[in-house]
Amino acid sequence: MAVGGTKVNPKKFHKNQIPLYLYLVPIAIFMGAPIVYIINHAFKPMDELFAFPPRFFVSHPSLENFRNLFQTTADSSIPISRYIFNSLIVTLGVVFLSIVISTMAGFALSKMNFKLKGPVFEVNNIALMFVATAVTIPRYLTINALGILDTYLAHILPLIAMPVCLFLIKQFIDGVPNSLIEAAQLEGASAFTIYRKIIIPLTKPAIATGAILAFQSVWTNVETSNLFTSSEGIRTLPFYMNTLTSVGTVQGQGMAAAAALIMFVPNLLLFIVMQSSVMNTMAYSGIK
Amino acid sequence: MGNWIYEKLLPMLEYLPYVLLFGVLAALLITLIVTLVRYRQGKPVRRSARDTLWGYFFIMPWMVGICIFFLGGVANSLLYSFYNLKLDSGLQLTPLTGVDEAGNTVYTPLANYVSVFNKELNFPVTLGNFAVSLVLQLPIIIAFSLIIALMLNGKIKGRGVFRTIFFLPVIIATGPVMSQLTAQGVSSVPMVNQNTMAVILADFPEFISQPIMDLFSQLILILWNSGIQILIFLAGLQKVPTAMYEAAKIDGASGWETFWKITLPSLRSMILLNSIYTVVTLATNSTNPIIDLIYNATYAVTKGYSYGAAMTWLYTLVVAILLLITFLIVREKKEKKSKDVFRQDMEGRARAAQSKKLSKMMGRRKTA
Repeated sequence: MAVGGTKVNPKKFHKNQIPLYLYLVPIAIFMGAPIVYIINHAFKPMDELFAFPPRFFVSHPSLENFRNLFQTTADSSIPISRYIFNSLIVTLGVVFLSIVISTMAGFALSKMNFKLKGPVFEVNNIALMFVATAVTIPRYLTINALGILDTYLAHILPLIAMPVCLFLIKQFIDGVPNSLIEAAQLEGASAFTIYRKIIIPLTKPAIATGAILAFQSVWTNVETSNLFTSSEGIRTLPFYMNTLTSVGTVQGQGMAAAAALIMFVPNLLLFIVMQSSVMNTMAYSGIK
Repeated sequence: MGNWIYEKLLPMLEYLPYVLLFGVLAALLITLIVTLVRYRQGKPVRRSARDTLWGYFFIMPWMVGICIFFLGGVANSLLYSFYNLKLDSGLQLTPLTGVDEAGNTVYTPLANYVSVFNKELNFPVTLGNFAVSLVLQLPIIIAFSLIIALMLNGKIKGRGVFRTIFFLPVIIATGPVMSQLTAQGVSSVPMVNQNTMAVILADFPEFISQPIMDLFSQLILILWNSGIQILIFLAGLQKVPTAMYEAAKIDGASGWETFWKITLPSLRSMILLNSIYTVVTLATNSTNPIIDLIYNATYAVTKGYSYGAAMTWLYTLVVAILLLITFLIVREKKEKKSKDVFRQDMEGRARAAQSKKLSKMMGRRKTA
């Protein structure tokens, strides 16, 4: 039966699987197209980049775009390693903190009883649907008032409370059986132990998904560098890539394609690392 | 009237998020003190008090983050939408004024909202188009991700590879790559001829035909947007107890019946979660034309931030209404549960079998 819930991949190929492949393979080709495109685009020489009608695949791959990109970065006053370092600190900080905060809040909102629980979740729902561009100016004023302009904190703090993250994680924690938590309580586990030993392991797929979403929103974020910092030494890699590629020259287009590939690779790596925990969703929560 | 709004009502708005934050803080402190006092008096700490304390402890970091950096901004943007905001030398807020028929100056707090409708002719049209395309896209995304999730949950070789491919668009769906791709026309289905579509749809009014045309030109883009939804459905599918499928199989239910009677009802909460997630991502997506309009208005010389804030609030209102409608349609209906005869039957049989077993055991004990 196609709808059974099994965890392991079947080892053998079976004739019954053919109809499924007939549907899955064409759709998978469509879904995989953008990745193929990014990779191809980065290696296109100048004449193919601007070819009309545009072509999907590269016919004469060259490293020209990468060479241009590295040449330009070598000429700039601040080494590119500085931007990479900044980006790493900011991204790691945001992903780690936002996951800790979201899981804690999700646990409290889902499994604990206290007054003000309702209003707090409503607040998250409002934050969820509010357009983020609209809060940039008030956010600038807040950051200015806190006196953290031009520091790493200005990159990190505005982004750590991610409403989407909390929403996803809270919904997953709702699925953790209450009896499991009650059993732990009977054994004398404190709320913190329950959080660490039950909630975190059982919501790994949601955590991994949240981490990927958080990573992706921070890693490509140019807004914080643009608005909350004024010295070059504190800005992040995507901002730098943007300034390089938005010069408007013909070379800029090629460099943009190469930069897009470079920015995309960490995303892909992270996903491959996270893949197993994302995919092995919470099939076995220990209680039937 | 306007005077009262500017002097009393609006200044309070600025403190709203902090009121919430301090409310939670105060509740935490009060519970803490009460518990400590009771503990000092030698009384046992009540479980509800302990629960409350831990609850506030766990929620606190998030509350601080969201109140200061998000709600503060949200409340301020509402505040500024009733003013004229200038940022050249510090923050300057001037109340909106107008002249009435008698020639007196009067406060007109809603002037920004009124001028959105007067000046921004595109806004209502774009908003309507967005609502219609949402109505079209939502079922497609939900159905597509459900079908894919069902297939990926089946027993096929190379399942991991397929799952990865279907989730991959999620991690690249933002940024310049996407706009490059759409510009190249990768997102439309090559089989569907745009001109033929235009001819077919020519008889319909534009507010219907335009979203349908958009739908077809963006079909692949829509499918790319469903990675998270597939994931959520997969998680839901794996939680359905296999015993239920086995019971249904023994009773001779076909795969079709099993899907409608067991799989779909079990996925109800996941469908709700997915629908809300989809509406939210579609609404706040940076490729959304309305976000573009708002962004342009905010940074335009003639319009400015207060004007953009007014637009944002109108938009948020519309999104909230759409979310509410989605919620009302998809939510779990209590009275429906009792009508689900098949499921009840299954559960009833399981119970009967259990009691039979129990009575057998009891009987054995009696004879022994």
